[in-house]
Amino acid sequence: MKHSITATLFASTALLGTAAVAQEMTIGITQNNVGVDSYQTTYEKAFIAAAEANPDVETVVLDAGGDVARQIAQMEDLIQQQVDAIIIWPTNGEAVIPAVRKAHQADIPVIVTNSNIAEQGFDFVASFSGPDNITQGRRSAEIMCDKFKDMGIEDEAKVVHITGQPGYTTAIERAKGFNDRLPEVCPNVEQIDQQPGDWNREKSQQVMEAFLVKYDDIDGVYSGDDNMGVGALNAAKAAGREGIIFVGATNFAVGYEAMAAGDYWGSIYQSPVDDAEAALQTAIDVLNGEEVPFLNYFDTPKITQDNMDQFDKPVF
Amino acid sequence: MTKDTRANLVKQGAIWAFIVVELIFFTVAGNFMSVSEQSFIDFDNMLLLLKQSAPIGIIALGMTIIMINGNIDLSVGATFALSAIVLLDSMTWPIFAGLGDWVIPVSWTLALLTGVVLGAINGLIVWKTGVDAFIVTLGAMLGYRGLVFMYNGEQPTSHLNWTLVDFAEAQFLGLHTATWFLLGTALVLWLVMTKTVHGRNAYAIGNNREAAVNAGIRVGPHFLLNFMLIGFLAALSAVVFYSESGSVNPNDGMLYELWAITAVVLGGTKLTGGYGSIVSTLGGVIAIQLLRKGLGHIGADTETVNLVIGLILIAVLFLDRQLNRKGKEELKI
Repeated sequence: MKHSITATLFASTALLGTAAVAQEMTIGITQNNVGVDSYQTTYEKAFIAAAEANPDVETVVLDAGGDVARQIAQMEDLIQQQVDAIIIWPTNGEAVIPAVRKAHQADIPVIVTNSNIAEQGFDFVASFSGPDNITQGRRSAEIMCDKFKDMGIEDEAKVVHITGQPGYTTAIERAKGFNDRLPEVCPNVEQIDQQPGDWNREKSQQVMEAFLVKYDDIDGVYSGDDNMGVGALNAAKAAGREGIIFVGATNFAVGYEAMAAGDYWGSIYQSPVDDAEAALQTAIDVLNGEEVPFLNYFDTPKITQDNMDQFDKPVF
Repeated sequence: MTKDTRANLVKQGAIWAFIVVELIFFTVAGNFMSVSEQSFIDFDNMLLLLKQSAPIGIIALGMTIIMINGNIDLSVGATFALSAIVLLDSMTWPIFAGLGDWVIPVSWTLALLTGVVLGAINGLIVWKTGVDAFIVTLGAMLGYRGLVFMYNGEQPTSHLNWTLVDFAEAQFLGLHTATWFLLGTALVLWLVMTKTVHGRNAYAIGNNREAAVNAGIRVGPHFLLNFMLIGFLAALSAVVFYSESGSVNPNDGMLYELWAITAVVLGGTKLTGGYGSIVSTLGGVIAIQLLRKGLGHIGADTETVNLVIGLILIAVLFLDRQLNRKGKEELKI
């Protein structure tokens, strides 16, 4: 029975292979946790839409539901199904390394999407497709500096900095990009303090409250993402301090609204649609044998009150 | 009497019949709907199925005994995570630095001990206070999870040891390491439940606790032993799984208690205790993993898995009730 099934399958696929398109590829993806926020939900929709638009691509779309064990099982299933390439959005950047190695040993190229796996696993990965957080930090510094120049305070402005969760690569890279770039573009602007807000709105509100008590003169606030930025904005509003320039990253819906209201100056636009399409394109390029950089970033442009009408409001 | 055994056979056979139906369905549907050229029922895929059943399976086997007792343990997921942290973190402790790869058995032992201690705490409280196990382990679920977060904040705890990974990925006589642990646990627990006094007592206590006390069974120590056993098994599950993955998120193992209970109930064990079987629980575990695997194979959404399992769970309980009611009604006549 088993043999006859395999035989028919083999025969039919062989026929298909010769008759139909020669270059058809099967790409499997295992995502982190689709239901947990709308960034990931939008990502999945965009990925499926992009795959359907491409007649040469068939996809197996899986979701680990945030569970490492399920993600590893899904990796094993995809290897077993002999897909041509696997895209993984790691639930844990280290726990999946052995599973990624298994795919590598089975000669299936692995593309990591959105957030990278730990360095020990780099040998087993074909490419990483995701946002460039250092550039995001640098661009935030440029947004802030340009605004100070407009206001004519580029020689005296004082800035405080709220970072993401300590230890997270995204947080570290964004902070580094900002701290490196700001003195290059605005050498006289002084950063007077830097504290972690842990990606948390309430925490960063408290951090900002402490800053406001401590420093009488604050001209700019940079936060590692808009979620924290809005927390800081709320603290400033509650204290009645006006005229502070708020710049964030990963434009959230709350940040977009605050920009529309004129309270929040700018951010970095990171679209889940771009993220998903970049991951799929990277996988296709790898399969077509094209040269793909190991760190394959998609573009995350600057968004400010001046150009926000060119961007759709983020869904998350 | 014959009616009784026949009803029993139907109940115990139901889960295996269901597994056969799943296999046929996913194999046939896979031919039309899967993008893969591999047949679902491919031998290697079935071996993988057993391996992937191990993390929840080992816990569910222990949960069977707890539930035959008429108790429940909601803290297994948190015990799983805490044992995993001890396993991975202890490998980096400076006192073990001179051991080289011999740190592995030491860390395994420490992790298993963690599970036994956490289980013993549950068991002692249930024994000495008489509070219902549901409440005790609900508290433990939150408390142990709190310990997990206290250990390393929201950061993952990681240590990748390739020797350990190679061991965990090995296949002996075709079966993966995790499968050996799953089948070994099933065998030992099956022997305990069918061939020993402890096993017979477990059924007796679940059937009628008063009567068991009157018959001279020491119920408290019996519970304590069983909670230590499930703590050990939750830790064993963690040890087997994290040997292969090397990093634990603080929220790992969440909802594992519910998946384990689902597998046990699918296998026909009564929530009220006194009835159940280790082998049927193994069937329940395999049935759940088959659904997850199969729905992925035919390209269904991952969320449909939960919906389907929920529906099947209700169907199983309904079937169970029907069979029991018929038995009782006939007795009355």
